[in-house]
Order: sequence, then C-alpha cells, then structure tokens
Amino acid sequence: MAERCAVIGIGQTHHTRRRDDVSLAGLVREAAVRALEDAELGWKDIEAVVIGTAPDLFEGVMMPELYLAEALGAVGKPITRVHTAGSVGGSTAVVATQLVQSGVHERVLTVAFEKQSEGDTSWGLSGGRSGGVGAGGYFAPHIKAYIERSGAPEHVGWKVAVKDRQNALRNPYAHLKLDKIDIDSVKGSEMLWAPIRRLESCPTSDGACAMVLANEAGGRRAPRAPAWVHGKAIRSENGFFPGRDPVNPVAGQDCAADVYRQAGITDPRRELDMIECYVPFSWYEPMWMENLGIAEKNRGWELTDSGATAFEGDIPVNCSGGVLSTNPIGASGMLRFAEAALQVRGQAGERQVDGARRALGHAYGGAAQYFAMWVVGSERP
Amino acid sequence: MAGAVPTYKLEFPYKRSLGPIVGAFLTGLRDRQVLGIRSAAGRVLVPPLEFDPETGEENLEWTRVGEAGVVRGFSWVEEPLPKHPLDRPFAWVLVQLDGADTNLVHVLDADSRAAVEIGMRVRIRWASETRGHMSDIACFEPEAG
Repeated sequence: MAERCAVIGIGQTHHTRRRDDVSLAGLVREAAVRALEDAELGWKDIEAVVIGTAPDLFEGVMMPELYLAEALGAVGKPITRVHTAGSVGGSTAVVATQLVQSGVHERVLTVAFEKQSEGDTSWGLSGGRSGGVGAGGYFAPHIKAYIERSGAPEHVGWKVAVKDRQNALRNPYAHLKLDKIDIDSVKGSEMLWAPIRRLESCPTSDGACAMVLANEAGGRRAPRAPAWVHGKAIRSENGFFPGRDPVNPVAGQDCAADVYRQAGITDPRRELDMIECYVPFSWYEPMWMENLGIAEKNRGWELTDSGATAFEGDIPVNCSGGVLSTNPIGASGMLRFAEAALQVRGQAGERQVDGARRALGHAYGGAAQYFAMWVVGSERP
Repeated sequence: MAGAVPTYKLEFPYKRSLGPIVGAFLTGLRDRQVLGIRSAAGRVLVPPLEFDPETGEENLEWTRVGEAGVVRGFSWVEEPLPKHPLDRPFAWVLVQLDGADTNLVHVLDADSRAAVEIGMRVRIRWASETRGHMSDIACFEPEAG
C-alpha cells in the first residue's frame, strides 16, 4: 500500500421512519454536507465519490448513482457504485479507502443511503407481498440452530434487544427511541419468525451516512482528530453449498482474520476498545462475536449475558444503538464503520467509550454471505 | 409433463418524496407558472434541479420563464397507442421555453406532420383543472400568428 488513509469527516442524517420532506438526493446531501463541514472542505476539494445502496428494487430507482452524481458534486469526477446487499455500506467505505491507499486519489467522499419509505422493503425483507420468506424468515433457522448448539438461554436475545435500544437513547441520530423497553416487553412482543420477536428485530428507516477519506497529508492537516484506517477487508461466500455453516460463515472468519492481521491485532477481545457490529436481529450479537473471534465457539452468548458487551462493559458492542435501532439498509454498514471512527476520534458524544483508541466496524449482507470490516485507530499506523 | 405452475402477482408500490425544489416547481404549475432555477454559471434550468449541476451547491435563485418557446427536436407519432396522451396524431417535442437554457420534453398537438418543424414557436395549453402535476401542462400547441 502506497498511502495511509484517514477518516477526516463524518456526517449522518437524523434517521427516522420516513423523510417525506426531502428527495432521495436531498437525503444523501444532508449526510454528505455534514461530512464536508466536519472536514472543513467543499465539493471542489473532493476528487472522487464512492456510493453504495441496497439493491435498486428497494426504492425503484435504477442506478441512482447516475442521478445522484450532480447532487454530490461529482460531475466530471469518477463516481463508483458498490453493490453487496446489506453489507454495502461497509464495502463502499472499503472501496473508497482503497482509492486513497493506492494513491489514486487524495480525498474521496463516500456515501451510503436508503430511503425505505419510497419502496416496500417488506418485499425484500419480510416476505410481505412477494410471497417469499424474507430476511427474518431466512435468518430465523440459523438463529434457532445457534441456540440449540450453544445451549444459550433464551433471555440472551432479549438482553441484546434492551441493551441496543438503551444505547440508542444516547445517540441523537438513532431512529428508535424506546425509553420504556425492558426484558418483559421484549419477551411479550409478537413472535415474527420463531425465535425472533418483534422487539428483537430492526426497524425500517430513511437515512444516509457519509465520510470524507484522505491520504496521510490530508489526515495530518485535518481540522479535527482523524481516525486512521489500520485494516480493511471484504470477503464473500456462496449462500448455499454443501458443508456451509451459515451460523458461523468462513467468509466472516477470514475477513476478521485479515483485518486483525493488517492491524497487528492478535487478541481482539483485549486490543479492541469497542465494536460496531451489524446486528439486525438480537441473536446476531453473540453469533458474530464468535465469528469475529471475540468469543470462543458456542460461548458468544456468555459475553452478552455477563454484560461485557454493554456500554459499561469491557468490549462494548453497538454503543450507537446499532442496526436494531436504526436501519436505512444501504447505510447501515457505513454507519457501523462511521460510528467506530467517531469513537476513536473521541467525537461520539454521549455514546463515547472513554479512551477508545481502536475500534472495529462490521457489516454483513445477503444470506449472511457478504462481509466488510475495518479497524480504525486514533494513532497513525 | 403437465406440472402445476405456481403464480402470484408481484407488486412494487413505490412512491416519491419530491423535496423543496421539484415540489415548488409542481406547485408553480398548479398556479399556471413555470419556474426554473439559475445555476452559478447563469444557466436557467427548467425543470429545476435541486443542486447546481456544475458545482453541487444549493440555494439557487428561482426565476419564472415564459409559457411559450421554441421546438428544438421532435418525433412525430402518426398512429397513437391507447396509452399515449392524445388520441390523434401528435409529436413528442423538446421545447426550450423563453428564458430557459434547457429543453423540456412534452407533447405537441399539431394538425399534421407538415405543421411541425424544428425552430417553430409553441405555447403551453394548460389543463382545465391544475393540481400540481406535470400533466397540468396538457400539451403544447403552435403559437398563433
């Protein structure tokens, strides 16, 4: 790699159920303008744009990157669209990072968005009118398999649901603000796809996220402390093949191993100060903690149960409230990456983990088959 | 083999939020006014874009353009299909309204193919009831005289 990469600007919208007041372009611009303001740069300072969103049928705009190029000041500049389903926000940030690390560009704007209110994402996610099984229905058997083989008590999922929603109360940008949620209300909520209950599921949100990435010179000049990229990786595997373990996919393990190697991390549980992890259904917290090598196989649930992943725990997970509180799908992965960067910049406000110096951003998508991750740090690598 | 063929109807019920600029343009049509915005380079864009296409900046100046303009291109439709906007032969036209620097795609109600030419002047025929929709411009017609 020729260049180091620094996150020098971060912006996001106030995520909510529907943003009828803005167009798609207006929504994406809100996040982008905030990222530029954070970096104290203008549109003309940006050399290239990398944009990601979920499959086009979610909103019914074919190739929205073409229509959004003008809104993002990208006329006459390279604009690249990334497609990796739910992990796309993370993959998009990784592609943008590579444009900087390769020395191709000095300053890149990367954005990801979803305006779920413009389409019927239940078509893609919950079955709905499509007659399909949907995301919840697809993941439920994997979750059930995890519970069976790990022997985890059922309250672990409820605990994650409560923890992430309480974390969201400290995040001014989070969508769901469920200040009265507790174990009993989660346990008593409607069963959507056994064993997943309504309050263990993510909402549908409108929102966008953007980051300005710069090379080392840009990182040193940044008006606010940057987050330095210590490692980044993408891995994929087929959704179905003989011998596949969808509960603990090899692609996810390999992706984590690659970012840890780049970052020089040998004991992620101790060396990471916090994790922003893609948890759209509560049980994915313990499942991904195992996949990420934070916990031993079949013991991820003990991490959650002991409180280690809570805001005050030794390895806090999803201090922002996570996907369980905010889910503009295409942006959800980038929000994980951006929240990790905010933490190591010391700019996470009330959700700041004291002294966070190194954090992991994680995203997954498709049939738990696409993975994107980065490790960011306060120190220049 | 006469196998069962499962069928179900796929639906994609999309909607659009127009935002403050395109929304204001359509509200203008309801009031029988055509609004454009002026880019930093001084070009008047109709319909308006939310952001300057060259610079990406916003907060562009609104300007009202004329109800008449010049045909810059056309495609004659001799045999209209059931879903076409007119039930008699017509032309799809690119119209540059007076004061605008961009072309608007619309429909020209002309008597015959021979009555249409690039450079001819045309004028908006408003719908009898306007409601803040592109169809408030019912079509264009050749300018009298």
